[in-house]
Amino acid sequence: MSEVTAHHDSAHAHGHDDHHHEESWLTKYIFSQDHKMIGKQFLMTGIFWAFVGGLLSLFFRMQLAWPNETFPILETLLGSWAEGGKLSNEFYYALVTMHGTILVFFVLTAGLSGTFSNFLIPLQIGARDMASPFMNMLSYWFFFAASLVLFMSFFVQTGPASGGWTAYPPLNGIRDIAINKGSGIGFDLWITSMSLFIVGSTLGSLNYVSTVINMRTKGMTFDKMPLLVWALTFTAVLGILAFPALLAAAGLLEFDRVLGTSFYLNNIVINGDLQAYKGGSPLIYQHLFWFLGHPEVYIIIFPAFGIVSEVLAVHAKKPIFGYKAMILSLGAILVIGFFVWAHHMFVTGMSPAIGKVFVIFTLLIAIPSAVKVFNWITTIWRGNLRFTVPMMFAIGFVSLFISGGLTGIHLGNSTIDIQLHDSYFVVAHFHIVMGVAAFFGMWAGVYQWFPKMFGRFMNETMGYIHFWGSLIGGYLVFFPMHFMAGVPRRYYAFDQFQSFNNFQDVNVFITIAAFLVMAANIVFLINFFYSIFKGRPLTEEDKNPWGSNTLEWTTPIHPGHGNWPGELPTVYRWPYDYSVNGKEVNPQNQPLAEGEHGH
Amino acid sequence: MLAVLAVVLFFTIIFLVSKASEMSSIGKNADDEMEDRSNLQGKLLFTFLILGLLGVAYTFWTLGPRVLPASASEHGDLVDSMFNITTVVVMITFVITHIALLSFAYLFRYKKDRQAYFFPHDNRLELIWTTIPAIVFTFLVFRGIAAWDEIFDFEKLETADEVIRFEATAKQFGWILRYPGVDGEFGERIIDEEHVSPINELGVNWEDPNSHDDIYANELVLVKGKVHLAKLGAQDVLHGFYLPHFRVKMDCLPGLPTQFMFTPKYTTEEYKAILSEKKYWQQIDPETGNPKWQDFQFELACTELCGKSHFAMQKVVRVVTQEEYDAWIQGSPSYYNTVINPDGAVEVEDVEEDSIEAMDSTIVEVLAVLK
Repeated sequence: MSEVTAHHDSAHAHGHDDHHHEESWLTKYIFSQDHKMIGKQFLMTGIFWAFVGGLLSLFFRMQLAWPNETFPILETLLGSWAEGGKLSNEFYYALVTMHGTILVFFVLTAGLSGTFSNFLIPLQIGARDMASPFMNMLSYWFFFAASLVLFMSFFVQTGPASGGWTAYPPLNGIRDIAINKGSGIGFDLWITSMSLFIVGSTLGSLNYVSTVINMRTKGMTFDKMPLLVWALTFTAVLGILAFPALLAAAGLLEFDRVLGTSFYLNNIVINGDLQAYKGGSPLIYQHLFWFLGHPEVYIIIFPAFGIVSEVLAVHAKKPIFGYKAMILSLGAILVIGFFVWAHHMFVTGMSPAIGKVFVIFTLLIAIPSAVKVFNWITTIWRGNLRFTVPMMFAIGFVSLFISGGLTGIHLGNSTIDIQLHDSYFVVAHFHIVMGVAAFFGMWAGVYQWFPKMFGRFMNETMGYIHFWGSLIGGYLVFFPMHFMAGVPRRYYAFDQFQSFNNFQDVNVFITIAAFLVMAANIVFLINFFYSIFKGRPLTEEDKNPWGSNTLEWTTPIHPGHGNWPGELPTVYRWPYDYSVNGKEVNPQNQPLAEGEHGH
Repeated sequence: MLAVLAVVLFFTIIFLVSKASEMSSIGKNADDEMEDRSNLQGKLLFTFLILGLLGVAYTFWTLGPRVLPASASEHGDLVDSMFNITTVVVMITFVITHIALLSFAYLFRYKKDRQAYFFPHDNRLELIWTTIPAIVFTFLVFRGIAAWDEIFDFEKLETADEVIRFEATAKQFGWILRYPGVDGEFGERIIDEEHVSPINELGVNWEDPNSHDDIYANELVLVKGKVHLAKLGAQDVLHGFYLPHFRVKMDCLPGLPTQFMFTPKYTTEEYKAILSEKKYWQQIDPETGNPKWQDFQFELACTELCGKSHFAMQKVVRVVTQEEYDAWIQGSPSYYNTVINPDGAVEVEDVEEDSIEAMDSTIVEVLAVLK
């Protein structure tokens, strides 16, 4: 770290544009150790995967909407997986599995917390870089390797993993393509990819936490830290504590698959042939998986919480309501979040007595979540709301988080979960609350910090089109699914059952709405890449374009590696001094006025 | 090709219009510009609130009747009432918070001369909206857990006058439904190399005389008003035993038995009669030309992803009266007699009273064939 500081200080002494240590293209754009570039790398990779994941969902939505039609284009694109233009049931399950894996891990974990933790933690706490820039670079490249391995699994002969993103054994625990085509080499690659991903995520998380603890600038005490930094730090803590459980689970799973151990397997009979597995339990895998899996949803949503808290305050020109309550509720969710995992397992054969404990903790965790919502709403009350594009996405986030969060009250109650478990009600719940809502947090962040990342603005009209298309489209996709509360998820077709076959027109409607969301996001994609090169540039007068108090806007428009030329800024006040002292904006590095008491 | 062109054209137009609007705003006063934009977007958000709430009401109106009909089991009423109470609580919160969020967005949209109100915290408010959810959730938790205890109170099996037991074993991709037959006792199962085979997938010990009358059914037959105990398991991978109308769901695992207890409230015919009074079910099914209720049947489905044909593990479920059930049991041939030992050969050392009866019945059968 001291190298970076020294390097930059000396560069500054010789004038700003005078680069003595000219970085090569390779070290500047590819193997960069600058946290800002690494953040952008996470963002680009995340956007790539978001479109891949979204495209996969369109393929399987077409199957659900028009199960009896054929689409020659599918055969052109997917070859033998869609012979005659009809998606095969095996590939349908591969698509569902990969859609879940990609969105949960690559987009909403790496793309969201990877992007914003890297880009914003040092900038918002006034540090020149992460505690270990090298380790930070490694964290991206492990993620990149994980991406590459998973991407390759699409091209192996037996196809990618197809046993669900949760990868339950025995379906994924026996390496036999007769049982599950995706359980061959495709699933080996899945496990390899996940293991690389976990290594990368852990390296990143350790770095974020050490940076926040050790590298805050002068005056940046914990009670003056922006909520976004709090949220990103808690995200990293969750990751450090939860991801190793998945690594262990995946390791044992691979042992069962290739070494013939029986951690998760017992008395398996295939076509009347008793297999040699003895004494394991598939429930152990589920416990290990959800010990990560549930904190994982907070890993996804915490960064969105933080982004939305910042964006609402900045554009309402009003302090976030209940700063301390917001931190406490994040902390409460972090702790309780480790005691709710088995609410995914109420009817999986786990003892009903244990289920009760998890009902209590699950509804307990809803209280801090409710507090956050009420505080966001109070934040915009009597504000002066500038409806910029990031603000629209932040408002949309709160709406979606309410709509999706409330159905968690149904699902967390084990009695109701008997009927709702593994049904479309669950699909609706988690897609709204941690899918679409987390995306809205991510987009709010992209539009908010795009000027900081690239020194240019994104086009606003296209931003509004993106917002309205995604909000309306998102609701049209997932709201009707609540009424399919008795219909099982992960069904390739519904024509085998009279009980589930009465939503065909709804499925058509949902698929059309999904195409609408995709169209809105293509507008985003055009806007994003066009604006990087040709967007309206920031000028020296509006280098703090949203009128924000936080430190990232005190750097030059194009900050070099080290962020601030000369000395680091000193912090005198908390980040939410909006509309005090007769001024709307009072940056954190602005000294207190005479007689003024810091918040 | 034309389609591709149309798509490209569509996005090009959006792009050009958007860039044009950006150009046209150059030189305008930034505050005025912000006021115009916030005014428009604030009004749109308010419109979204109104149309959204109407849309929600509309979906309840149109899709509501399509949701699975009323519970056909006793404990299912507990599940449904918990669901309904929670839905009321949730919908009230949903409407109030959305009205607050989106009308605040509209009311406090940017105005040049408006000053935001510095309001960083208020402990009383925080206390209020921590306590109210806490009280509501406590109520829901207690009610939910009470119902849960009731549903999984297996001691009821001891007090019930008669319990119908059946065994559902799932495999890729179907169900093995085993009934204990006339004697009411299942034959013993031994999971080892010696017993498990393609014709004896369950590993039944045929030396156990209880096994000889066990029935392997191809539909699930239940008795109205009787307590049922479903003994659940799986052969190869995880499956889920799901009776949608009975609010019964429990995973089936290889090597780890599970169970679920429930009591059907209506026979299939009675349930059809209930449906026939509902408007949705009176609609004519275009395929059969009959009202929907007429061809109604209860079904068994799989709810745990189990492979490529997960979506097709269907069995018909029939609820009958005790008399009909008894007749069905009596009239169904046992697996032992039809597959394991179809010609009724009896090993001499096993001959006991039971077997002599069995032999007699075999002789009758043989005579019938000879005739």
